[in-house]
Amino acid sequence: MEPQAKRKKEMDGFDVECWNILPVLSDEQSQDTELLSAYAAPIIEKKQTSRLMKELSLVYPLPGLHHIKRVRASNDKSSSHPLEVIVCLVRDMQEATNGKGVALADLLGSQSFDFSGLGEPFLVKIPATPPLTRPQFEKARKHWPTSFHEDKLITSALRGQLFTAAQKAKILEYMTVAVQAAKSGQEMGMNTVGAVIVDPESEQIVAVSHDCKNSSHPLHHAVMVCIDLVAYGQGGGAYNYDKYPACQFSSQESLRNSFKAVSAKESSQPYICTGYDLYVTREPCVMCAMALVHSRINRVFYGTAFADGALGTKYKIHCEKDLNHRFEVFKGVMLNTCEALCKK
Amino acid sequence: MQGENDSGQTDFLQPSDSEIHAWMSKAFDMASDALENGEVPVGCLMVYNNEIIGKGRNEVNETKNATRHAEMVALDQVLDWCHCREKDPKVVCGQTVLYVTVEPCIMCAAALRLLHIPFVVYGCRNERFGGCGSVLDVSSDDLPHTGTSFKCISGYRAEEAVEMLKTFYKQENPNAPKPKVRK
Ligand SMILES: [Zn+2]
Ligand SMILES: [Zn+2]
Repeated sequence: MEPQAKRKKEMDGFDVECWNILPVLSDEQSQDTELLSAYAAPIIEKKQTSRLMKELSLVYPLPGLHHIKRVRASNDKSSSHPLEVIVCLVRDMQEATNGKGVALADLLGSQSFDFSGLGEPFLVKIPATPPLTRPQFEKARKHWPTSFHEDKLITSALRGQLFTAAQKAKILEYMTVAVQAAKSGQEMGMNTVGAVIVDPESEQIVAVSHDCKNSSHPLHHAVMVCIDLVAYGQGGGAYNYDKYPACQFSSQESLRNSFKAVSAKESSQPYICTGYDLYVTREPCVMCAMALVHSRINRVFYGTAFADGALGTKYKIHCEKDLNHRFEVFKGVMLNTCEALCKK
Repeated sequence: MQGENDSGQTDFLQPSDSEIHAWMSKAFDMASDALENGEVPVGCLMVYNNEIIGKGRNEVNETKNATRHAEMVALDQVLDWCHCREKDPKVVCGQTVLYVTVEPCIMCAAALRLLHIPFVVYGCRNERFGGCGSVLDVSSDDLPHTGTSFKCISGYRAEEAVEMLKTFYKQENPNAPKPKVRK
């Protein structure tokens, strides 16, 4: 075996398979923050700072920009002035300026403003919206300092540190079941996609499915079958999957018996997929993604992306603001294995 | 079929005003029947060659499967119809028009694409879940791996369809989950 291939083989273990599980965040969370043009000016007399801040915020209040810190330390450490202040947004200017040669008098002249202590203005870019994630914050503050209310969970998720080793082992275990289901489906001539729905509280597998659309029903994608199998376990269900031995479900009864600690749950029937997690080898299509919204899924873990996928690629249905249910999505679970399935 | 391009085919299939009137009346009758029986007031039928080959009502509660919308049920009937007559579903669906009182949701719109339904006539917009423009535009977005896009004719007796939905939701669905309090 060549050394390269050998190393690859060794890396195909646990670490690599789970190492790049990443959250699929909304566009607002993942795109670069929009920037606005503004005029800033050096504060030459430091003792004027608080007066200048107060008066500037009366003349130019910067509405909707509460995240912007009005004053920053000068970027250039050797500069003669230690502080700089935002005067106004370019778009708030009384008269259009032709870009260069703007003086304080142009910005503040008509306001009977005492601008002693301020130096001549210069153009800066400031972030238009508050940063939502640490990467956005790091980028934004290179332009101008902002406040940042950090969501620690998102930060650690983006670093791939959200899950403990034990949780990763579980994620890997469930996805392995989905991969096996995909292979069983493939043997029956189906698309190689597998899915598993899990109750994370009891750690029980509720349903396992694979794609069945290549036989009689073109809409029987793995996720649709899995959702219907969960319904079966709850005494409902719309189809019969006897032809597919790898498509299975656990009845609500057996789930309860095997996990006594969920006694609190026993009193109330679970509503479809509320509280359940889905593991699927390939990113769901639009139909399947919306089916998961209707079913109130808790979280989705998928392996490889899909060109028309609706949980990150074409749409982000899981964080669509207009919809009544949102959920977390993680991608990249057993990426290599899942990618290889799609190539079959 | 040879040599016909997509738009030529769908223009040919575009239902006439009198067809729309006739089939939508039936769909509205179904919706008000559903409402009288305490069910989601959506009427939905699939028409091929001037024949109803699929009809659906929402079956979410009895199947405990939240994907059993009227359109999904009707599409199943269309597939069964094809199966019984040994017809190719792709050919039949490609010439079938859906008449429905409410804009199909995102899921159903994608399912209609996947089955190559070329035309949808609907009553009111579906502001909560609509997949033909209200929330997303699955019907016409560029989704090369999700069947074929379809054309919509909307607004037929829209106010009446909205009123029926409002009446239904006022009765508050006892099977819907309570808003989450924990966490
Ligand atoms: Zn799908
Ligand atoms: Zn629907």
